[in-house]
Amino acid sequence: MNPDERHYRKLKPVPPQRFRTISEIGEALNALGQGFVTTFRHLFRKPITEEYPEYKRTLPERSRARIVLTRDPDGNERCVACYLCSAACPVSCISMQSAEDDNGRRYARWFRINFGRCIYCGLCEEACPTSAIQLTPQFEHVKREILSMVYEKEDLLVDHSGKDKTYNFYRWAGIRTGDRDKGEHEREDKPVNVRSNMP
Amino acid sequence: MPTLTIDNRRIEVPEGTKVIEAAEALGIMIPRFCYHRALGSVGACRVCAVKIVDGTRKGVQMSCMLDVEEGMVVSTDDPEAVAMRRHVIEWLMLHHPHDCPVCDEGGHCLLQDMTVSGGHGLRRYLGNKRTHLDQYLGPRIQHEMNRCIQCYRCVRYYREFSGYRDLGVTGIGNRVYFGREREGTLENPFSGNLIDICPTGVFTDKPARYFGRRWDLQRGPSVCIHCSLGCSVTVGARYREVARVEARYAKAVNGHFICDRGRWGFPYTNEASRPRAARVDGEATTVGEACAAARNRLLHVAETAGSEAVACLGSERAGLETLKAVAGICRANGWADPLFWLERRARENVAAAVSLLGDDLVLSLRELEAADCVLVFGADPLGEAPMAALALRQARRQGAPVFVFDPRPVELPLDFHHVPLAIEDLPECIRSLVGAAGDRETARGADPTVRSFTDQLAEPSVPPPPEAVAALRTSRRPAVVCGTDVTDAAAIGLAADFAALMKAQGRRAGLFYLMPGANGFGAALAGTEAASLEELLPRIEGGEIRALVAVEADPLGLYPDRGRIEAAMRKLDLLVVLDYLDTDSAAAADVFLPSTTVFETGGTWINQEGRIQIVRGAHRGGIPVSQTGGGGHPPRVFMEEVPGGQAAASGQTLTRLSPAEVKGASEWVRLPPDTDKQSGTRAVLPDPSALRFAPERTALSGAAGDEAMLTVIAVDRTFGTEVLSSRSPWLSAEETAPTVWMHPEEAGRVPLSDGDLLEIDAGGGSLVLPVKIVENMARRTLVIPRHRDAAWQRLGATRLRIERDCIRKAQPVGENAPVKESPPR
Repeated sequence: MNPDERHYRKLKPVPPQRFRTISEIGEALNALGQGFVTTFRHLFRKPITEEYPEYKRTLPERSRARIVLTRDPDGNERCVACYLCSAACPVSCISMQSAEDDNGRRYARWFRINFGRCIYCGLCEEACPTSAIQLTPQFEHVKREILSMVYEKEDLLVDHSGKDKTYNFYRWAGIRTGDRDKGEHEREDKPVNVRSNMP
Repeated sequence: MPTLTIDNRRIEVPEGTKVIEAAEALGIMIPRFCYHRALGSVGACRVCAVKIVDGTRKGVQMSCMLDVEEGMVVSTDDPEAVAMRRHVIEWLMLHHPHDCPVCDEGGHCLLQDMTVSGGHGLRRYLGNKRTHLDQYLGPRIQHEMNRCIQCYRCVRYYREFSGYRDLGVTGIGNRVYFGREREGTLENPFSGNLIDICPTGVFTDKPARYFGRRWDLQRGPSVCIHCSLGCSVTVGARYREVARVEARYAKAVNGHFICDRGRWGFPYTNEASRPRAARVDGEATTVGEACAAARNRLLHVAETAGSEAVACLGSERAGLETLKAVAGICRANGWADPLFWLERRARENVAAAVSLLGDDLVLSLRELEAADCVLVFGADPLGEAPMAALALRQARRQGAPVFVFDPRPVELPLDFHHVPLAIEDLPECIRSLVGAAGDRETARGADPTVRSFTDQLAEPSVPPPPEAVAALRTSRRPAVVCGTDVTDAAAIGLAADFAALMKAQGRRAGLFYLMPGANGFGAALAGTEAASLEELLPRIEGGEIRALVAVEADPLGLYPDRGRIEAAMRKLDLLVVLDYLDTDSAAAADVFLPSTTVFETGGTWINQEGRIQIVRGAHRGGIPVSQTGGGGHPPRVFMEEVPGGQAAASGQTLTRLSPAEVKGASEWVRLPPDTDKQSGTRAVLPDPSALRFAPERTALSGAAGDEAMLTVIAVDRTFGTEVLSSRSPWLSAEETAPTVWMHPEEAGRVPLSDGDLLEIDAGGGSLVLPVKIVENMARRTLVIPRHRDAAWQRLGATRLRIERDCIRKAQPVGENAPVKESPPR
């Protein structure tokens, strides 16, 4: 007797042969009756099935479907093209090229998600340090043409802040951009005057 | 040799070793920011704290500041030490900005790694952060002072290790600031190493700014081919574009660092103008068809004018595989002898140096640092092989006096004795040093050859500098550095004799040659009997040679007599060019075949000390996505073929277009099994002792001293003259301007003042260049950088003697007079 078999026997003691048939018949009848009772009961209840294309239920905000790139409260692109989402993506469906704009902000020159490959796991959203990439409940974007499942930045970019209404990375970053110089970010002192030793 | 215990493991290390080094030898990497193997300890960051359980100083100590002791017991994972390190990281992070997503260091940042591994995930400090204003440090380095953790690595490297003074530190406490006195480009030609040594993102690579994370790059070990030293580098490419070149540690060659020429000289591989398609008579075609066309035409030339009417030219920038293919195709088809050099002098010089370099004398760059007296003959280390200048500085820091005997206005980041002598006087100068320095009697006793050589030495006409003689007398490890670019075979031979003589005296003397090109050594080995283009040119002009195959060589653009080579190339029936650059020769080729760079197919290179280094390509190559996509996203179609991916290694293409089968193309480099994978192995050199102390080198050459003659030398500079790196847009601002250097005395005789235009009538035509008057150079000498705008190809040779009346003051014509109408690239 192999160890697995021994274990199994220990868990489920086999009843003596003569009682087995009678108890099995009893169990079957009981289950059958219970099933009929449940079905019968539901004949008088309101149906809970949602007729999908006719009725579209509002999904929880956190449900994971189509990915978007959001904007910060000031209306600027949040994505800084830091490559963290593409690094976190287990199926490597995100690719991008970062660049610097005229204001010194790092942004994505192009940004591409291949939804034909995406598994909607949400790791990109979890990795995003600027709340830029977010999954939305909008799951209906199935296409017949596989290449049309490749979304570019203009397809991904939306004009709202998504689930995070407040965060603006460049207010905290300490990086000199067009609207904020050194020392003008949140919780920053004025730049040190290196020509003086006065505290 | 004290024995200590670290984390219950015993190790024996030499006296004076720091605990952090001993731990590293055991494979225990204690966290560090300020400690660096090349820079030593300073104890600034406090993150290498360990617990000393038993020893003179018990408790938590800084492992980088503590020498090992006999019986010391160290614990790196003691809770007390771990807590200390954790707190130190938290302190260092107090003012660190919240900008990792937009920081280029992110992904290979030491501070990021340490913060994460130290478990400091959330900020507890909620006060205001200290900020700093950044400086513009030039087109290559981005400054972001907010990120600084005051480890002092940058200034220690910049001021102590590399010897430049324009980056410094100011302020106290958390106001400490690392920067320049005022904004401006860093003067240091080794400044790129700041990027590598900064443990966080204060100094980042500006050309590669926001290009991509290190984890996305296709990275691979490679070797730098911008000079003959062959420093080890790591290449990072992405989307078919080489993005970064970083220093790779090589114990025997460059150590931890590389120069800026090597770091930012790579854009030639990404250029939009790089020829990617084959061309036949100017029409683009496939590589296969172009190969067939070249093969048929070569066959036709060989049938009509004889197989000797075809010549094949390689160059010193090509890998050994390519040179081997050049030699092989010439042999297999019965063509003229393979050519690897443009000028006869270059061929003879390198051949002389290679034949004289033996295992007994040769020094590696690392060994050069350990010399206690360095004599540099006819070399400008910073111009010809920049990392050699850094090695000389390390020797000087350890007390070695450095003497430079060179006609050029040599600049080095160290205090050295410059003896500006005319290049013709150099053999005489070495001869006088051989005669005067050291104890000749001990050497005489050693060897009859040495004895006869020293006996026959002529009485020197140039007295040796007394400081050099004095330093040589006491030196135990003298090193002789000799250039092969402006010197001649006599000086090269004498340099070897000198080193061998000092060796015979029982000292640990060494010899270090600088050579032209990355593979000059390989070219000399590949074809010992091979002629140069200069020697073959009469046969082209006479119509004997009807076809030329130029492999990674640019005779039209680089031959020092532009008019003559143009006429000669016009006489050819067929010019086949294989290259990855859009050279003048490539433009003039009847059949052009694209080839690949070291970043794509790798290859074998032999550096100037005979070290064979084999590298593989880092990426496959092709037209960069940034070019095919027009800056936007890449095309949305799937393709079998890589755009611009038709190019193959020159050696392979060459065997395809050869009419006869080239045998053994794959058999060339066989390394012994005990090869050091990291820094290659030395080539097995023939025994050179028979060639040393040749009697003809004892006699006076007698060329110097003629007041009616001037010597013109076209020289290599750190930036702007080397073929590949001079195409880099990020180095163009640092290039040496196309000028002619003159001694004030010579300028006074014309007369000329600084900035005046000088017209030089030389062998290959006349050229007009602005004059720069410098004190620290030889008289009777004109020095011209081989800059693409200097029209040096009209000189007729890279080193020549002209009559004094060949130079005159020129009048400026128009506004941009100095640059000639069509600057040859």
